[in-house]
Amino acid sequence: MIRFDNVGLRYGSGPEILRDVTFHVHPGSFHFLTGPSGAGKTSLLRLLFMSIRPSRGLIFVFGENLADLPPAGRAALRRRIGIVFQDFRLLDHLTTWENVALPLRVMGKSESDYADDVTDLLHWVGLGNRIHAYPETLSGGEKQRAAIARAVIGRPELLLADEPTGNVDPAIGNRLLRLFVELNRLGTSVILATHDYGLMEQLDAPRLMLQEGHLQVGSPQLTAR
Amino acid sequence: MTFLNDIKDYPWTSLLAGILPSRLAARLPKRFQAPSSQIVPPASVAGRALTIVIAIMTFLACLTAGGVYMVHQSASAWVDDIASEITIELNPLETTDIEKKMTLVSLFLAKQPGVTRVKPMSADDSAKLLEPWIGSTAALSALPVPRLIAVEIDRSDPPDIVAIKKALGENFEGVTLDDHRRWQSEIKLITRSTALGGIAILALVAAATIAVIVSATRSAMATNREIIEVLHFVGANDKFISSEFERHFLGLGVRAGLVGAIAAAITFLLLPLLVSLLGGGAVTEAETRRLLGSGELDMGGYFLLALIVVVVAALCMLTSRLGVFRVLKTYA
Repeated sequence: MIRFDNVGLRYGSGPEILRDVTFHVHPGSFHFLTGPSGAGKTSLLRLLFMSIRPSRGLIFVFGENLADLPPAGRAALRRRIGIVFQDFRLLDHLTTWENVALPLRVMGKSESDYADDVTDLLHWVGLGNRIHAYPETLSGGEKQRAAIARAVIGRPELLLADEPTGNVDPAIGNRLLRLFVELNRLGTSVILATHDYGLMEQLDAPRLMLQEGHLQVGSPQLTAR
Repeated sequence: MTFLNDIKDYPWTSLLAGILPSRLAARLPKRFQAPSSQIVPPASVAGRALTIVIAIMTFLACLTAGGVYMVHQSASAWVDDIASEITIELNPLETTDIEKKMTLVSLFLAKQPGVTRVKPMSADDSAKLLEPWIGSTAALSALPVPRLIAVEIDRSDPPDIVAIKKALGENFEGVTLDDHRRWQSEIKLITRSTALGGIAILALVAAATIAVIVSATRSAMATNREIIEVLHFVGANDKFISSEFERHFLGLGVRAGLVGAIAAAITFLLLPLLVSLLGGGAVTEAETRRLLGSGELDMGGYFLLALIVVVVAALCMLTSRLGVFRVLKTYA
């Protein structure tokens, strides 16, 4: 599903943030991506999400070499991926409901087809009473849950989450982790970037550990070369 | 074909909601409402200043096109008038009894095939034609003013002008025929020059509108860069993003275009009043009327103004579409 071959990344003429990163993620797997702050977790997710290009090496997502992919192909791949940003990236002029429905709207689906699904999901993540609220009136935790709901509403094949439980209390964090696990059971591959060891200990999932730009693999589920 | 598909897929039913102010749009039936909040906030794309600029551009385009149209209509009427008439001029110095000669020439002309009406003009009528240049003076009657005979001809079956000219020359002294060809060609030249001038002004207005829209598109995309990024992240392709922007620019074009065209239509309606308010006397009004006809647009003229609104709206939409695609290429 995902293959990194000797990927290196540097911003401009700065030092390499990621060095010779090589790994392979199988369909339907669940991985934690961990490492200290500044280790390159967010950069690795941005590479996966085609937000930036690697300085060297090859990245394959769903069998497609990202280096050869035209813009239209990138859009098609992104529809198969859900992403939760550390800074949420909710649109302030849309309500919580509209933000969560955005991926389905972009896909061209009819509002009547997805209205109930969006409302149900918002109730599930504990935002049932905040459906018509605008992001600027939401707390950090509520924004995070809305961002997660937006990432999963389209039933993506791959979910990338950057510190998704960073702003919520442990109870909500556990609930969100259960949502990710449930999605994973339904076939979605999950890569969850976190430095919350408490969260990682709740699940027996392989860990991709970034340290000074190098990736170490901590589980047999992940094939490192 | 892609463009045709885009037009087919365009949310036309919600276009009305995009054109009207939000308070009025909210009162429209549900099928005319946009399905959800607009992804790109309208205020971030089409501010009041941009609407005013496009309205002014449309106003100028409508004034130019309407003016050229009126001159063209008026000139066509002139050409029609003078093409269906010839004028016979009798020199009073070459005859002792000018009235008798007028009668003889008139009778001769009336017998010619293709001539529908012969109208000899009295000495007073001929003198009146000189009044705009010489003024109303008693001395006019003392001058040897040429006498004129207006001859209407059947345009579907015109007479042999050359033969008439030759026969007049052979039978009457001091009689000349003017078939107005020189005037016709001069009027056509003036009309063509006015039309070319109008087209040049329209081209300048179009170029300025395109430049304004290109700049506004870039500015709107810079303002909404974060929204574009989020749209990319949730899988929107360039076509989807472009449609979100061009919808606003189409609404802007229709809204501002209508304001400009209505203002121009009011100006045309008030043109005669404006001339007199600006101090134009009866002579100025008569001259304006002579140049621009009645000074009012007919149905064809108002249709032209409506067409300009459509062109301005299409120009806004297509320019923004190309602008968005160009900027998105730099994001890729």
